[in-house]
Amino acid sequence: MMNISKVALRSRVSRVKLTSQLAGLATTPDEKIEIPKRVPRGPTDILRALESTVGRDPTAAHYKYHDDPYLIPLSNNGKRVFALSQEAGRKAAHWIRREHADLFQHREADPTIEAFVPPMVFDEKSEVAVTDLQKLIKTAQVSDAVVVYKLLKEKGAEVAPELEQGLLELVCYQNCEDGLSDEFIEEKWFKQSQKGKEKLRKTWKDGDFAEQLFMNLPNKTPEAYCAIIQGMAKYYQVDRAVQLFEEAQQNNIPLNTNTYNSLISAVNIMKESFDLRWSLVAQFLNQMKDAKLKPNLGTLNAILAALSSMGNPVGARKYALMTLSQFRELGIEPSLGSWSLVLNTFYKDRGPVSTILHDIINLVENKEHQIRDLKDVHFFVTAMETCRFYLNDVSLAKRIDRLLHHGENYNLIGDSYKESVYYRHYFALLCANLPIEEFMNDVYYKLIPHIYVPEPALMAEVLNQVDVNGAIEYVPKLWSDLVIFDHAHRENLIEMVLNSMTNNEELLTPELNEKFATVGWDIFSRFDDQDSYKVSRMKVALSGDFLGKILLLLARNKEFEKACCVMEKLDRNQQSIAGVPKVEALDKFVDLCIEEKAPSRAIACIQYCVDCGYGEANAMAVRLHKKLTLDEVFLDKLTKIVGDISLAGAKDSV
Amino acid sequence: MLSFSRKIDKTAFRALEKHLILAYSTSSEPQREEEFRVLNLKHVKGQTVQRRSVRKAEIQPPRTTQMPVDQDWGNVWPGPRSFHPATVPLPIRQGYTPTGVAPGKYANAELMKIPNFLHLTPPVIKRQCEALKKFCTPWPKALDSDEKCERFFPLEVASSDYCHSSPTIRDPLARIVSVKFKLGVLGLEGRAKDKFLRLVGERYDEQTDIVTIVTDRCPLKKQNYDYAMYLITALYHESLNVEPWEELKSEADMEVYIWENNASKTSIEALFGKEAKEIENVEQYSQAVVRYMNEGENQYTVEQYGDAVRKILNLPPVPR
Repeated sequence: MMNISKVALRSRVSRVKLTSQLAGLATTPDEKIEIPKRVPRGPTDILRALESTVGRDPTAAHYKYHDDPYLIPLSNNGKRVFALSQEAGRKAAHWIRREHADLFQHREADPTIEAFVPPMVFDEKSEVAVTDLQKLIKTAQVSDAVVVYKLLKEKGAEVAPELEQGLLELVCYQNCEDGLSDEFIEEKWFKQSQKGKEKLRKTWKDGDFAEQLFMNLPNKTPEAYCAIIQGMAKYYQVDRAVQLFEEAQQNNIPLNTNTYNSLISAVNIMKESFDLRWSLVAQFLNQMKDAKLKPNLGTLNAILAALSSMGNPVGARKYALMTLSQFRELGIEPSLGSWSLVLNTFYKDRGPVSTILHDIINLVENKEHQIRDLKDVHFFVTAMETCRFYLNDVSLAKRIDRLLHHGENYNLIGDSYKESVYYRHYFALLCANLPIEEFMNDVYYKLIPHIYVPEPALMAEVLNQVDVNGAIEYVPKLWSDLVIFDHAHRENLIEMVLNSMTNNEELLTPELNEKFATVGWDIFSRFDDQDSYKVSRMKVALSGDFLGKILLLLARNKEFEKACCVMEKLDRNQQSIAGVPKVEALDKFVDLCIEEKAPSRAIACIQYCVDCGYGEANAMAVRLHKKLTLDEVFLDKLTKIVGDISLAGAKDSV
Repeated sequence: MLSFSRKIDKTAFRALEKHLILAYSTSSEPQREEEFRVLNLKHVKGQTVQRRSVRKAEIQPPRTTQMPVDQDWGNVWPGPRSFHPATVPLPIRQGYTPTGVAPGKYANAELMKIPNFLHLTPPVIKRQCEALKKFCTPWPKALDSDEKCERFFPLEVASSDYCHSSPTIRDPLARIVSVKFKLGVLGLEGRAKDKFLRLVGERYDEQTDIVTIVTDRCPLKKQNYDYAMYLITALYHESLNVEPWEELKSEADMEVYIWENNASKTSIEALFGKEAKEIENVEQYSQAVVRYMNEGENQYTVEQYGDAVRKILNLPPVPR
């Protein structure tokens, strides 16, 4: 929230306390003074209270970026690059601290800040103690913990069973891999987008440390079984998980609820058809019942997750509703993640459209939600997607958006990818359904570009809406946004911009004319500037049609010089330019030439018309002849191009 | 054996290689000499190198241009930071040029140097106060006047907390505690007060009647506070205490001149041959002497003394 300047700040708070300790020495108090009790508050309560007074500034970028025109990212790529560059710097600092740990032994922080101290490095020779292992497990440093454990074993040190259990749980949860440090939030924020495709692949490391540790445990406690089964189920090593589960069942080893949950969520890999899957879920649930285990939110979400990916939509819906009602009776309130799974179950490509989203929103609206399950971050994306594709309901979308901005709920948006998808759906829905003015003022200007940068397809949608509604006053703004978002090299978008500028002639005003001419010239110069880097990104050269439209825009605004440039390009590169411009543009240009008294340009244009095979060339020639008094040379040329002018003129006048 | 011969081969080959290189370099030397290298002082360009035009990034105009006039400034500038021209929509000028007007806000280091209070505009302060109200307790109703405050809470303890933008939360200055109170509330009289003042020394301010005790010898604030409280207690009881040697205070130990105890009184009694109280105009005389002795010799006291002497001896006053 606070953007504290780089200058070292030092503030002093003086505290003055009045005490009545000496009161006994003064005159005895004749009345009683009651001092109210202090209002209890946490260490950050004041900061939070101050933060609550600050709203969002639509013109500002996210606070992680520098507030400077040169450093504010405006495209999706820019946002990613800028944030990750900062993170890269942070990583470089971490690296230096690790490589040159001897330089960072000073302790200027008081009390010592653990995060500032270089990390301990463990190898085969280091002296380790059990407390090291304890600390490493607590801070979830998997590889170091494994090394230290092995060293301890080699030395023959006694490791407590609880510690071994802790280590087993850690390696099972992390699959023997080091997780990404909490310090690199940007990487976490931007990373998730590649995930998802490799979702249902077995990633469990067979025979790695986790299994070795489990095998070498002298007495295998129920907790150890729970940990290893959960780890295997989490990373889709389903066969081994089931095998161990059966082993545990045979040996009468009690397992906990979370183990059953992990098995239920892996049901879809174990069995193929809907009935088999569901009966397996039911079997697990019955076993839980026999073991007298109380299900929890994880059980609910596991069942719903299994249902949401089952093929039979009708049956899945029925069972989902049954599950929900049963869990309600158990007093387990579904989290947002459960609702997103319900949405996945109810809104499939086939089948009738349900209205369950309305009921869900009624339930969760106006509440502040905490994260209770990892799937909770999927809710807003799923809800908005459903709203766009199945319900097409603006008021519902607005309610979802209000819920997202209620209290701290924005924390549940997930990561940059989900945020971007959420806004894509929201934006597209509003774009298609709101009046264009309302959309531009209330949505476009507020969200773009700092919260969301629309993808090319969405920009095309906006341009389309603008064109359909004849709201051409927004076109210059949209074009400058296209340039900023790095979409300016896309042919279809350029075509749409040019079309909406040329088509709606009846709505033109002088100011708009001027702006459009500027936009047209900008497009032209972007392509014409051969040395510029932008050219390499242009997939195609401007076609004759595009150039004609630019010519028309310039001619409308009476920019003779620039129009001549465009005309020259058309004339010179007749062979290489695909397509020909529309005749209106050329007509307008001849008129402009007449106005500017430049017959040679006009004659060149007429020549071009004839080359293109336009019959209107004659009429143009006649007009030129009438309006301007041409000398012999020009007349000769004109006659050569279109034949006898007087004859044509006679025809025209008849 | 085989490996050994191979090694020899290798070294021999290397030597040969070196020799060849040497030979080549010596043979090419005469050719090089023909081409005399010129020291190019003026740096005349030989071949113009085609330079790639610098890519210019697309940047937006400063965001002040997009700001609506009715925006909430507190959201734009929520905390303290140095001035930035693209964020502050005010046509500010700062600095001096010998000719013309003061420089504008862009590229103006002067504006960045000075601390600004753009984050503390009146509406923002109001809003923050509203937000912080829930942490405040109401003022005790019975304490409705300054006199009451002074009466019920005579002791004022002041200490400071420091907040740096640095990793440490310690500041040596935070240990200092200063305690203030009015001497009057202790209810000391005469000798005890005199003793208290002697003990306190310059910590007592005569004009406001306030004693200020500053303690900083202990490393912690709490310790210093306790020490200050101990000092007050010790001072109070020590002042009330009468030591045997205090009775031995003689005229030489007196801090001020008191006429009744001094030779001036006995000599005037001897002169008039009666009790000092019965002498006419003795009041004025004694006061003049006291002032002369206590304040020192200056024109005023000397004149006063002269007048008093003339009056007591019934001499006519000096015409001025």
